[in-house]
Amino acid sequence: MKQKLFEAHYAGLWQSIEASLGSDTPAADFPERYRALCHTLALARQRGYSPSLVARLSELALGAHRLLYGAPEKRELVLMRWVRRDFPRLVRAEWRVVLLSLGVFLFTAALVALAVYSNRDYAYSFSSAYELSHYESMYRDGLERFGERKADSDMLMFGFYIWNNVSICFRVFAGGVFFGLGSLLFVAFNGVHFGLIATWLTLNPETVNNFWSFVITHAALELTGLILAGAAGLRLGLAILKPGRLSRGASLRAAAGRILPMLLGAAIMTFLAAFIEAFWSSRADMPPLVKYMVGGLLWAAVLRYLLFAGRGES
Amino acid sequence: MLDGHLHLQTPEGITLPLTPAGPPKRALAWLLDFIFRLLLGLFMVFLINLPGFSGRLETGLMLLVAFLLLWAYPVLFEIYGSGMTPGKRIVGIQVVRDNGLPIGWREGVLRNLLRAADFLPMWYGLGLVAMLLNSDFRRLGDVLAGTLVVYRPQKKKTKAMPTGTPRELPFPLKPEEQHAILDFVERSGQLPPARRFELANLAEPLTACTGQASLQRLQDYAAGLTGNGHATRPDSQP
Repeated sequence: MKQKLFEAHYAGLWQSIEASLGSDTPAADFPERYRALCHTLALARQRGYSPSLVARLSELALGAHRLLYGAPEKRELVLMRWVRRDFPRLVRAEWRVVLLSLGVFLFTAALVALAVYSNRDYAYSFSSAYELSHYESMYRDGLERFGERKADSDMLMFGFYIWNNVSICFRVFAGGVFFGLGSLLFVAFNGVHFGLIATWLTLNPETVNNFWSFVITHAALELTGLILAGAAGLRLGLAILKPGRLSRGASLRAAAGRILPMLLGAAIMTFLAAFIEAFWSSRADMPPLVKYMVGGLLWAAVLRYLLFAGRGES
Repeated sequence: MLDGHLHLQTPEGITLPLTPAGPPKRALAWLLDFIFRLLLGLFMVFLINLPGFSGRLETGLMLLVAFLLLWAYPVLFEIYGSGMTPGKRIVGIQVVRDNGLPIGWREGVLRNLLRAADFLPMWYGLGLVAMLLNSDFRRLGDVLAGTLVVYRPQKKKTKAMPTGTPRELPFPLKPEEQHAILDFVERSGQLPPARRFELANLAEPLTACTGQASLQRLQDYAAGLTGNGHATRPDSQP
């Protein structure tokens, strides 16, 4: 068949496919027309018709392929199911990396805390005297943070916590592609920092109460978020180090798809923590006892959620 | 074939033509996006300044905006703009899954969060190395998310083939050879004359003449092959 006849014969089909490419969902007879299009493309190639015709049909086929196979699946309310069931289950399923991440954090924090506790001078090898005194001044009675704070400075701190903490969360995860080392380093660094500041401020009777009552509530979400982000990064690193029967690339891809919900959960927790930190932890009018109680309740709730939510449901 | 295309097989037995985009194009798209984000950020700063909030509230809002511009901008644009941030749209490239289908939330989030790793040690140094080591120019985020950055299909007008008098081939040609003749005749309009004649001379065994005459003869054969061309001219030979 001459090309001209061929074009005339199938022009109707091509035009109808071109017209339906604009819509979002394919019509009922679209798969049939798509297969007919593929047939004409194969014929045009095999018979050596002109390159411009083959190129045009290839573009059409690409668009039709995307329309047909790229249509999003209809799914149940994924978000609620994810919150109630899938996220805590995933955390429990990955308990090894979560424990590893938690262990690294606690170990470094405890190590630094012990060192500083035994001899306060060690603190200066992790941080400068200026920075330490800055932290002290932050948690002293009646200063910056615990003075009269208004809504606008709460908003400032909220913006800052989002920018800083959630970005850290993402970086901890991304560091995992370097064989997990990036995540380990980030978590360990945060452990050192936390251990140092917590011990330093605990040893100072002026700040101990202010510090612990300030951090206890949002730490329930923020530290958990950091640990989970670190665990997600470690899972990436492990996927490269121990690919099993997959190639390293395939193993990395599979692990990433599986672990992404955990990272998102960690990011959401960090986001909520920023909210609490800016608008609750900083309130000076709450007595420390109330903060301790609320913080304790939140810790219990988070642990209960991660340990028990979604068990026993199908 | 060494043509820079990826030939993806589909169940229907055809191949999808996708061309991975290299680092320069993607860097250009990133730069454009960077400028857009900067402008958007400045505009937001202007908006935030309008109602006359206090300084600390303004700074807090600006940090929020900065957060969204850094992390949410590429994710949202790629998911809801069929794989294109504004910069990519202008440059003419697009993010797709490695099977050629449009990306979803999972891919969009993963590949953009991994920018934090690709960006190291500075200015996407690691991403560049990963792209050069990978046959499909994937940076770490692309490998992880299973995505590709490809050239967007361009709307091309079908080229009008120079018409000739239909003429039978003196001896049968294989389909690839017929394809080569059609390809040459279609493109001959875009070539400078010297190059056109040089290529036409290569067909001397077929056309038995050179230069303009050979080109004319090839156009006649092309017309004969496609069925295009003047219906019949009185002086034409069968």
